[in-house]
Amino acid sequence: MCPAMRTKSDNPTPGAAAAATAATASSDLDSFDPVLLLLRFLPYSFLRPPRTRLRLPSSVVLPSPMTVFSLLLLTYFAVVSGLVYDVIVEPPGIGSTQDPATGTVRPIVFLPGRVNGQYIIEGLSSGFMFLLGGFGLIFMDLAVDRHRARSTRLSFAMFGISAVVIAYLMTMLFIRIKIPGYLW
Amino acid sequence: MGAKAGSSPPVVPPPASSATSFFPSINGLKLKTKQQELLIRVSILALVYVLAFAIRLFSVLRYESMIHEFDPYFNYRTTLFLTEKGFYEFWNWFDFESWYPLGRIIGGTLYPGLMVTAALIYWTLRFLRFAVHIREVCVLTAPFFASNTTIVAYFFGKEIWDSGAGLVAAALIAICPGYISRSVAGSYDNEGVAIFALLLTFYLFVKAVNTGSLAWALASAFGYFYMVSAWGGYVFIINLVPLYVLVLLVTGRYSMRLYIAYNCMYVLGMLLAMQIRFVGFQHVQSGEHMAAMGVFFLLQVFYFLDWVKFTLNDPKLFYSFLRIALTCAISVGSLALGVGMATGYISPWTGRFYSLLDPTYAKDHIPIIASVSEHQPTAWSSFMFDFHILLFLFPAGLYFCFKRLSDATIFIVMYGLTSMYFAGVMVRLILVAAPAVCLISSIAVSATLKNLTMLIRAKNNATPMGSSKGTASLKASAKASSFDQPLPYQRNVAIALLLGAFYLLSRYAIHCTWVTSEAYSSPSIVLAARGAHGGRVIFDDYREAYFWLRKNTPADAKIMSWWDYGYQITAMGNRTVIVDNNTWNNTHIATVGRAMSSYEDEAYDIMKSLDVDYVLVVFGGVTGYSSDDINKFLWMVRIGGGVFSVIKEPEYLVNGEYRVDKGAAPKMLNCLMYKLCYYRFGEVTTEYGKPPGYDRARGVEIGNKDVKLEYLEEAFTTSNWIIRIYKVKPPKNRW
Repeated sequence: MCPAMRTKSDNPTPGAAAAATAATASSDLDSFDPVLLLLRFLPYSFLRPPRTRLRLPSSVVLPSPMTVFSLLLLTYFAVVSGLVYDVIVEPPGIGSTQDPATGTVRPIVFLPGRVNGQYIIEGLSSGFMFLLGGFGLIFMDLAVDRHRARSTRLSFAMFGISAVVIAYLMTMLFIRIKIPGYLW
Repeated sequence: MGAKAGSSPPVVPPPASSATSFFPSINGLKLKTKQQELLIRVSILALVYVLAFAIRLFSVLRYESMIHEFDPYFNYRTTLFLTEKGFYEFWNWFDFESWYPLGRIIGGTLYPGLMVTAALIYWTLRFLRFAVHIREVCVLTAPFFASNTTIVAYFFGKEIWDSGAGLVAAALIAICPGYISRSVAGSYDNEGVAIFALLLTFYLFVKAVNTGSLAWALASAFGYFYMVSAWGGYVFIINLVPLYVLVLLVTGRYSMRLYIAYNCMYVLGMLLAMQIRFVGFQHVQSGEHMAAMGVFFLLQVFYFLDWVKFTLNDPKLFYSFLRIALTCAISVGSLALGVGMATGYISPWTGRFYSLLDPTYAKDHIPIIASVSEHQPTAWSSFMFDFHILLFLFPAGLYFCFKRLSDATIFIVMYGLTSMYFAGVMVRLILVAAPAVCLISSIAVSATLKNLTMLIRAKNNATPMGSSKGTASLKASAKASSFDQPLPYQRNVAIALLLGAFYLLSRYAIHCTWVTSEAYSSPSIVLAARGAHGGRVIFDDYREAYFWLRKNTPADAKIMSWWDYGYQITAMGNRTVIVDNNTWNNTHIATVGRAMSSYEDEAYDIMKSLDVDYVLVVFGGVTGYSSDDINKFLWMVRIGGGVFSVIKEPEYLVNGEYRVDKGAAPKMLNCLMYKLCYYRFGEVTTEYGKPPGYDRARGVEIGNKDVKLEYLEEAFTTSNWIIRIYKVKPPKNRW
């Protein structure tokens, strides 16, 4: 804002402005580029820059990659647990059936009969298992890093391996319960 | 894996070999490491290529080489037309055999990429004097392009990470069930070719951004053109690429390369896309394409400001110039957008794509979209079925991508997440997510295997504390020794983990093969079931009925059926239909739905107004086939009721329940669909121990067994009662 004002107050007429700034321009930049000279004074000779409070992204700081990564993992968890299915189809949280002999109501966790159907809780637990497997692999990679303390590496490695094993076994169990004919 | 450290110098052949000069010297076979690696890579790719083709051949081996499902029959019919009549006739084709009496401008309402590709392959084979039938080419187009996709996946993986990841990506995508489901042999549909085009376009664009070369950018524009010609899902590309450019700008990873790549691809791609009549001017008129234009405009402004800043050398002057320029740009842009939307020149998002952003929209507003089973949202088990262990590897792959951020990894992360979200909204879109998930998982596999093999190949340190087990960490001591502290039993554990990885990947392969064999290789037009003693029973009723139509009805007969079967009737029965799978005219479909759900006399008036000669219904009561018209009937009521308020859905339900037995609603028991399906069914005993008229698909005995037809007569019922065809009687003469 200030340099434009200063130029304006120093050189009241455009013609004089052109001559004066041309002289100063050639002394500063020593450039023959007409477009550049045009660019330097043309907007300011008749335009006053708007007094916008233009706070450019210098104050907005981008989040760190790891923050973004954890947000993405959360989104992945939501999608893979069938959150959209839950919102649209609105299944019950857990199914129930009545025992014909005694009349008590027993819960059913896995929606039987269809591949593309679920109750809310079974979706969330399966999504958690997928995420656990992913974490296991991440921790296994963290364990290989040579610059950490040894006990940390050891615990990372053990957690990672057990997480992958548990996640895989549980997921296989879930899918076998849900689809009785699986792989047989 | 683990090529031997064969860094031996080129071996001088011993003089003895000259005596046996006709026998090639064995020493010549000793390859250098680079050549060994090349041999391994090429042989792996060749095996993967063959594997991708072979795994999709289940239904061809079990049944015969035929086209599956419904939509592929339309594609087959158009390809047949193209090969018989030539390209100009095809491009200008007006089809009077469907949507009677409206007709359909086929040349202007289809995506020609698939048909032209198959026709080109056919003409090439014919030129080489292989006398193939066009049907064989059509059946095997999808597996062929799946094999090509694996090659593109290899190059893409190489671009993102390294060649090891590329090989794993090719292997994973060759057998991924999410991709196989829409590209088996016989599934002659747009997606078979479109996924190849999608991955190719993305690869070429990422290559263009990485190299900044004009040639790669041009190639990506042509790849985009191929994608536009192949599938309506090109809207995904034209929205993902601008989003990617935006993310690169925001994170500061821009340079001249990005400018060249995006400008070239957008401008040229847009011009090429307008060559497809079905797409037309949508790139400048439709709301779905405005993001690309907006980013294009933004990119110009951004780079202009950058150039001005560079030439000005004066921050304060530039700052004021910046403010002027930004105000101008924002005002011009929003003015243009506002005027465009207000005058209606820029159309809003169409229902199909809007329901991806707002999933609840289709359920409330567009019953036709909501009724398709492929458009239902996805449950966890569908993900598991289609991806198996890739679901574990995906988050790990994301982690590795974030660990080593580059332009290419940012792209694949964005592609993966957006496509996973859309896959969660609609089951059918798991197909679009499959390449991204395979690529990201391959990064995880490759990086993990590299870590493990590095552990195995690490040399043990000679330090005394090196290989002992369970000692506490020694942070206080010299750092040099604590750096290389290997974990206890490091090598053995790493070998065990390697075997575990091998086990997991082999389980993946077994799962994929099982899923393909059991779930995704059914032709849908031929039904199979297990008989009483475990033998396989085949129901070929659909083709029986269409062949009967072809041979026993006059050539200008018009067939009324529900829209599902329209394509098949035109392709195989060669007769005119009232509505078909294109579903472009909702009112026409609602008219048919109204006819099916009205009483027989009202329906007769509607049928006479449409010149209907035959009515075709699908009935699963005898076989227990559950995808028949009685189960789809409520959709007919809903769609008909959506246009004609005469049809009210509660009239067909009893206490909100849909029933066909004695307690069913009286309107249900007397509507046309009920009568046509259950005519003469009351005399049939379907199951041992059950009364006659027992409907096996619904599991109940039907309510109205004595069905009398006044205006129609039965023309044909297939051997298992699956398809029933009725002739519409001419009006009575004046008495």
